[in-house]
Amino acid sequence: MGLLIGPQFLNLVDVETQKGLAPLSALLLGWIGLLFGFQFEIKNLRRFPLEFFIAAILEGLMTLVLVFTAVYLTMVFCFDIPDSLTMVIAITLAAAGGCTAQTGLAFLSLDTIDKHQHTVKLLRFISSIDGLGPLLIFGLCFFYNPSTGSDGLWPGGLWKGVLTSLGGSFGLLLLFNLFISHSRLEKELILVVIGMTMLTSGLASTVKFSPLLTNFFVGFWLVNLSKDKERIYQILMTVEKPAYLLLLVFIGVCVRLDSIWLVFLALVYCLYRVFGKFLAGFLVTCLNPKFKKYPRQLGFGLLSQGGLSMAIFLDFQHIFPSRISTFVISFAILAVIYNEFLSYYFFERLFKKGAQ
Amino acid sequence: MSRYKQYIPYLKTYSITLFLLAGFAFWIKIIDVGSNWQQAGLTTFSLGFVLLAAYITAKILRIAELPLISGYILVGIIAGPYMTRFLTETMVVRLRLVDDLALSFIALTAGGTLQIQFLRKRSKAIAVNIFLITLVVFILVFFSFFFISSRLNLMPDLTYSQIMVLACLLGVIAVARSPSSAIAIISECRADGPFTATVLGVTVAMDVLIIVFFSLAMTVSEIILVAGTAFDFHTLTVLCLAVAGSLVLGIVFGKGISLYIERVGHDLPLFLLFFAFSVFKASIWFNHVIETHFAISLQLEPLLICMSAGFTVQNFSKCGNIFMEGLERFALPIFVLFFSLAGASLNLDALRMTWPLAAFLVMVRAIGILGSTWFAGFLNNDPPQHRRIAWMAYITQAGVAIGLAQLAQRRFPELGVYLTTLVLAVITINQVVGPIIFKMALKMAGEVKQEQ
Repeated sequence: MGLLIGPQFLNLVDVETQKGLAPLSALLLGWIGLLFGFQFEIKNLRRFPLEFFIAAILEGLMTLVLVFTAVYLTMVFCFDIPDSLTMVIAITLAAAGGCTAQTGLAFLSLDTIDKHQHTVKLLRFISSIDGLGPLLIFGLCFFYNPSTGSDGLWPGGLWKGVLTSLGGSFGLLLLFNLFISHSRLEKELILVVIGMTMLTSGLASTVKFSPLLTNFFVGFWLVNLSKDKERIYQILMTVEKPAYLLLLVFIGVCVRLDSIWLVFLALVYCLYRVFGKFLAGFLVTCLNPKFKKYPRQLGFGLLSQGGLSMAIFLDFQHIFPSRISTFVISFAILAVIYNEFLSYYFFERLFKKGAQ
Repeated sequence: MSRYKQYIPYLKTYSITLFLLAGFAFWIKIIDVGSNWQQAGLTTFSLGFVLLAAYITAKILRIAELPLISGYILVGIIAGPYMTRFLTETMVVRLRLVDDLALSFIALTAGGTLQIQFLRKRSKAIAVNIFLITLVVFILVFFSFFFISSRLNLMPDLTYSQIMVLACLLGVIAVARSPSSAIAIISECRADGPFTATVLGVTVAMDVLIIVFFSLAMTVSEIILVAGTAFDFHTLTVLCLAVAGSLVLGIVFGKGISLYIERVGHDLPLFLLFFAFSVFKASIWFNHVIETHFAISLQLEPLLICMSAGFTVQNFSKCGNIFMEGLERFALPIFVLFFSLAGASLNLDALRMTWPLAAFLVMVRAIGILGSTWFAGFLNNDPPQHRRIAWMAYITQAGVAIGLAQLAQRRFPELGVYLTTLVLAVITINQVVGPIIFKMALKMAGEVKQEQ
């Protein structure tokens, strides 16, 4: 849909319209960040064994490191792109590669879930939170700025940015709570959540930081410190699906299918990710003796690449709008589609191999 | 005074919230904004800020029994390019798309509020009121404005025909009412009875008819300004085709929306958002194609399409309630944004110069409404008390009237500054006074059941 209405075909959403829709796009990114932050309610996480949490974080980070290394080396040896941009692209692709969606799990039959409930439970847990490490690492991209020529990491700026982001998100949390304290009706709450998400996203972009990550921090604070978290969560969930659908449309608008190389590069990126997931899943089950009961092919069930990855791509496109970033987004989106197809196949393989 | 003591804790919370919000705004204003990405971020921040600040300000004003919409407009004015410059002119222009989307939503809501069985019950009273209010208010505002502007030379840089066009557009916009405000006040008072039924019927039906009158006025204005020739039948035919085409398209789309609700059902707000966006974009594209390829100025009116669609869903399907609930869910942020942005586009410099004229227009309009509603009440054999107070129910203006002024501003940029400023000035006065006296009228009519 996005591809169809975008500049490549119907041009209904031209460059000017995209500028006009920028607040909506920022709202979407923020909404997804908030939703992801709400996954990290400490009270809720403690209901699961600590090993689960460690496994999820390790799996995400290991995939990230593997995909990053592969992508970075490929780009250094095969493409002539400035170093700083190479780093940023590699981090973005690796971060998006580290995230897992639950779409594959959603299609499992009740019978399969019943037969392999322990594995399904672990997979569900991992896929809901393994994006944490990659998302935080993705935040590093915001301390590079190829457009101004400042290459490489800037430690002073990094700490300043982290402190600003954390401090700002805490201030925003306070503001959020003040608004919610006197908003009783559902329509008022919708307004407050929309307004606060826009405010947070706008603030983050203006101070050169990620709207996705800043809203994630706000979501994290809210779910752990606010008394009204249930009400906010209800509001966020009511438009969860429309938000993801719109995100896909916005991503589709950014895509340009104008080179056959896209198909090939998407395949390469997809293979790197699949390899990364398989290896990370294998290592996670080997490193902890308690995980012996889970299949070594755990990575087979972690191939779906959904909303958070898409949000990372959109965020990346906003910060680094260029022909290169559009090209990267285009093949990355194709790779997401490949991953979805592979996911169904490998899910079947995983559960045929006698997982619990 | 003791009545207000209960609100002190709320006022404290509201003040702290506003103070913190202003703190963030101040912080962001001192940041050096360079890249396009940062500029887009600043626009997003400003939009969020305006949304939240308008919401809180409206809540504060509500304690003083002022309407919510006044709060939204007030924040828009303060944040706008003529006061604090928090929202710059570029931002306001860039946010036009948001504005258009909001306007489509408002038009859909207006159409959805119109219920056919309800119209039938009070059809005669509603028809007489609409006819007289339209005729008297238009004539009175048109001639008063035209006379006073020409005689006192209030707009020396405008030509004779431009003043005539301005008077014509002001006359039509003066007829517009605010269904959203009327519905809000009626619901707040839980009012019910023949007086309330007539007022609601006139208000929402007028909101549909005003588009037709406005389209007609726009075409007449274009003839006066551009061609300078008399009204020909070709133009009239094209106008009728455009209005009929918009209505028919609205019916078709309305059927489409009903089908979607019946067959698919989920994600209705998202679907309506797509619908509103598509109607605006497709109308612009269609009008452009027809004009460039066939040299015909067939202007499909997106507002009329949306109203007709809303009306069709409400009255010719079983899913009117679901449709209205879908719109209602996101109505508050959309209304707040719409009214705040409208406030932000208020040209205060021009307002300073035109306020006596705005006050004069408010008075003329009120006199026109008083005379026409009294006479309509007389013709309908309404109780004398209802005849005396009926005018108080029709003063409030907002939403569509502002939208019409903005559409006219885009079509006639040379008149835009005067038109929008005058309309917004008149609306601001009417919007502050209107709801208060409407509430009084409902109480005087004895139809207030219980306030929420």
